[in-house]
Order: sequence, then C-alpha cells, then structure tokens
Amino acid sequence: MAATRRLQKELADIRKSGIKSFRDIQVDESNILTWQGLIVPENPPYNKGAFRIEVNFPAEYPFKPPKINFKTKIYHPNVDEKGQVCLPIISAENWKPATKTDQVIEALINLVNEPEPEHPLRADLAEDYTKDRKKFMKNAEEFTKKNSEKRPAD
Amino acid sequence: MSDEEMDFSDDDYDAYYGGEFDGDVDHVDPLKNDPEYMDVAFLIDTEVERLLNESVEELSNSIQVTPSLAKMLLHMSNWNLPEVVARYRQDSHKLLTSVHIKPPQPPPQNVFQDGEVTFCPVCLAPMSPDNASHLTCGHTFCKDCWSMHFEVQIMQGMSVGIECMGNNCQVSAPEDFVLGLLNRPQLKEKYQQYAFADYVRSHPQLRFCPGPNCNIVVQAKECQAKRVICVNCKTQFCYKCGSDYHAPTDCETIRKWLTKCADDSETANYISAHTKDCPKCHICIEKNGGCNHMQCYNCKNDFCWMCLGCWKAHGSEYYECSRYKENPNIAHESAHAQAREALKKYLHYYERWENHSKSLKLEEETLAKIRERIQEKVMAGTGTWIDWQYLLDAAALLAKCRYTLQNTYPFAYYLEAGPRKDLFEYQQAQLEAEIENLSWKIERAEMTDRGELENQMDIVEKRRSTLLSDFLQV
Repeated sequence: MAATRRLQKELADIRKSGIKSFRDIQVDESNILTWQGLIVPENPPYNKGAFRIEVNFPAEYPFKPPKINFKTKIYHPNVDEKGQVCLPIISAENWKPATKTDQVIEALINLVNEPEPEHPLRADLAEDYTKDRKKFMKNAEEFTKKNSEKRPAD
Repeated sequence: MSDEEMDFSDDDYDAYYGGEFDGDVDHVDPLKNDPEYMDVAFLIDTEVERLLNESVEELSNSIQVTPSLAKMLLHMSNWNLPEVVARYRQDSHKLLTSVHIKPPQPPPQNVFQDGEVTFCPVCLAPMSPDNASHLTCGHTFCKDCWSMHFEVQIMQGMSVGIECMGNNCQVSAPEDFVLGLLNRPQLKEKYQQYAFADYVRSHPQLRFCPGPNCNIVVQAKECQAKRVICVNCKTQFCYKCGSDYHAPTDCETIRKWLTKCADDSETANYISAHTKDCPKCHICIEKNGGCNHMQCYNCKNDFCWMCLGCWKAHGSEYYECSRYKENPNIAHESAHAQAREALKKYLHYYERWENHSKSLKLEEETLAKIRERIQEKVMAGTGTWIDWQYLLDAAALLAKCRYTLQNTYPFAYYLEAGPRKDLFEYQQAQLEAEIENLSWKIERAEMTDRGELENQMDIVEKRRSTLLSDFLQV
C-alpha cells in the first residue's frame, strides 16, 4: 500500500531531522495512519507551554490530505474549542499528493506562532487579537500556563 | 402560425397564443411584437457535443494545437473563440500560462539520470521513464499514482480543472492526458460526464434545463431574463437566473422579494387569515376557486375578495384594488408609525402575491373540473371533444396571465413612487380586472357564450402583453 510505504519513510525522515518544534512523535505500530506529537512554539504567548496534536491520515493518503486535531486546549483564533484547526495546505481543494507531512507541520507551527485573524475559527478571539492585543496576550498566556503541557527540557 | 413560434416551443398553446399575430400576417419580426419572445433551441447531449466540437476543431486548426488543449483553452476563456485566437497570436506563452496549461517557469531538467534510480515523489517506489508521466510543468510521477490521483479527484466531482500533483503546482491536466491514464472504463465515463457538465456551464450560450432529471441543454444567443419552457420536461424557468419565471420583475428583485417573503411570511400569515366574512351578511366564506369576484352563497352579495368592496365598481375602468395608497402624511410620523406603515405596505403587496399564488393552485382544480365536465358532455352527446377544447385553452391562458399578474406585485413593491409607478399600477389594475372577468366566465362556462369567452381571452392577453412590452427589462 502506497500510504504505508510513504508514511514509514516520512516518519523516519522527521525523526532523523531532529526538528525542535515538533517532537515526541508517537505512532502505534499496528496503525501508522495515526500520529501524535508535541508542538513546541517559539512565539509568545504560546512559548509558555507545549501542545499535543493528532495527525490522522486517510487510507487514500497521499491522494487525500491528513487531518490535524489539537489534543491540548489552546487559546488561539485559528483553533476551535474542539481542537479543530483550519490549515489551507490540507484543505481538500488545495491538497497536493506531493506535499510532505513535514511541510504540513511547518505550516501548522507557523500558524500557531503567527495567528491569522482574517480567517478565524473563533471570531471573539480574532477580534481581541486585532483590536486589543494586550488583553489577548494576557488571556492567552494565562490559558497556556493553566492548560498546556510541559515543554521538553532541551 | 409563424415558423419562428414553432422553433421556440412545441407547446401548442404557446404557439397559438404566444404571438399576437396569426397566419394572416405575412412576416412580422416576433421580437417586436412579443416582449417575452426569446430565440432558443433545445439540444440533446450529442447535439451539444457536436456544437462544442465545432469550436474545438476550428480553434485547433487555426492555432495548430491538439483538440484536447483547444478544448481546455476554450473552457477557460468562456468559449470566446475569436478572443482566444487573438490572445494566442499576441502572446501565446502569456495565454497558456494564464489558463494553467503551461507553468510560469520553464520545466526542470529530465528527472531520469543515467545509472541512478529515480523514485516517484508520491508513492516513493522506484520508477522508470516507461511507467512515468508528466504535464508541461515537468513534475514527474509514476503512472499508478497519476491514475490514483485522477480517481480520487473524479470521485470528488472534479473533472476539467484537475491539477498536477506537484507542490503548489497549478498546471491543469488536459482531457487526453487524464483519459490516457485512467484504467477503469466506468471512471472514464464519469470523467467525461463531469467534463461535459463543466463545458456547458462555462459556455455563455448554453444552460442546463433546471427540471429534475432533465438532460436538455437550452441554447440562446443572448442571455436574457425571459421565459423558457423545456420541450422535454415542460419546466418553465427564467433563462438568465434559472429559477421560476418572474416577468415583469427582474432576476435580482425577485430574489430580494422571495427572501423577504421567506423572512416575513410568518407575520404575514398571522395577519392575513385564510377565510373572510361576507361584507354584507358577515357569514364566513372560504375561497374555493381562483376568481376574486365573490358571490356570497347566503345573501348573493357580489364583492371583491381582495378589498371586500362592492364588485360593481370593479367592472369599470376604475378598478383600483391592486393599487396601494401611501399615506401622504407619513413623513411627519414617528419611527414606530413608519415601521407599521412599512409593514402595511409590504403586507398589501404580499397578500396580493400570495392570493394570486393560491388562485393559481385553485385554478388547477378548476381545470380538472373542466376536463370532467367536457367528458360528461361528450358522453351525453352534447358536442364532440373538439367542440369543447376552447375551454382548456381558456384555462391555460388564465393560468399564464395570472402567473404574470402574480409577478407584477414584487415589481410594484420595489418601484419608486412616481408617474411610472402610477402607469404600472394602472395597467396592473386593468390586467387584474380582465383576469377576474375571464376567471368568472370560465367558472360559469356553460352559461357563457363561446364568442364572449374568446373575446375575453383576447382582451386579457392583450393587456398582459401591453404591460410586459412597457415594463419588461431584460
């Protein structure tokens, strides 16, 4: 199956690359279609914690895009309360079979670091983000400290 | 009967009454006489394909590209052949890039190097030049992956615009490339079916009939908001917007009106009840026919269902029941009073719109009754079936006129007060009065002389076409 061969190679490549902002990747050996990993953002207010995500690949991968869900609660204009995230690179219309998972993760980390209030999933947060950045930062930092996972030591 | 009329619809009734002129006039331009006339052709899929292929062939010959590329070029340029040719001659690279046939940058070197194994970037399996393929952008993938990619895209309803699999690459795959890589005949068929629908939608002179499960394609040289009646399924629709026909109201206004009605209908329903009391003896009356000329079964009082006024006044040219009179002092009233006035105005038009819509439905029942009565008469030996056909023609004409009348109310609602509106509402009132007259005569057909009825039919249709020629904008 194309999906298995490609995912095994992609997983090995990501692990080998030693990328700092996406680590602790856990994959069940019996099911390579589901990955879990830890997003470690650089920018405030999210640099106070780490966020667990789940990547679900469809059986038709790479001809259909993966889906990404936040398992850790995050106070972010582009992530809703259920952990769903709107990432253009993995939307059905934009998806390209040649796109690799590391590119998807990179796009996700960029979005976490730099929210896009123009196309929000949570309009209330987007409004605070654009109109009252101070208030947004304060709320987001408090929320992050309270709800996020511990950042890895190194 | 003129030939032009026959082209435009095979509906006998329309062929007869749609135009104002019969065989005794030698040649008249139908456009000038019938404001609703539209030159359309009804095509089946093979005819549409022939039509499209003619353009494809012409383009393919004149600029020397493959038919598949020519088809894509035409699809992306709304089938404007002269424009494609001109743009191609001016700057072929710019044109081909803008319609995603060629990449903006030249393609990279051949991915296959001597002595090295090349892997397909999608499935990561080794590939050789024999089992690999690429578009003009040079992104090379194995044939199995291409085939799988097309299969997934087709299953999602994509066809003409399927893009290359490369990262951020927008180059589209032409028809022959896709068909050459698809294995299953079923998928090829599906792809061609979807592509055909895409071509029709991108063609400014073609429209699918909106009727359920109808495959007819309507062709017209000009996109006008005029009535089309499908030859196959008889669906009646506006050529421009594809929804129910709405003359004299234009496409945008009718959409606005229908949205408004959907929002406000609860209030309107609440306020306008379905029954009314006789203005004279106050017995409760439920409307059971389309005619607005009511005769109380209890006291025999003749009155108008719309305004509850005496019917006698409606017979004359002072029929004013359809006109809404604005309160002249309203500008000085409070916002609350203005809001109430606005609601009152809306309800005035809405009630009339709704009422004619109900009348139309009730007249379907009248038509069924007429059929029954004709049957009885023929069985009883009073005349032959043919002798009574004029009644069915009359009922069909009544429905057509009432349909137009119903659609005059949204038009009037959005029309600004002034001489044009006065004229419109005058003509509307005239039409309404004559329609009610016809409706009354049809419901009492046995007592009405045939000549009188046919005379009335003529008057009604004249009023309708006068109103449309004065106010229909397409």
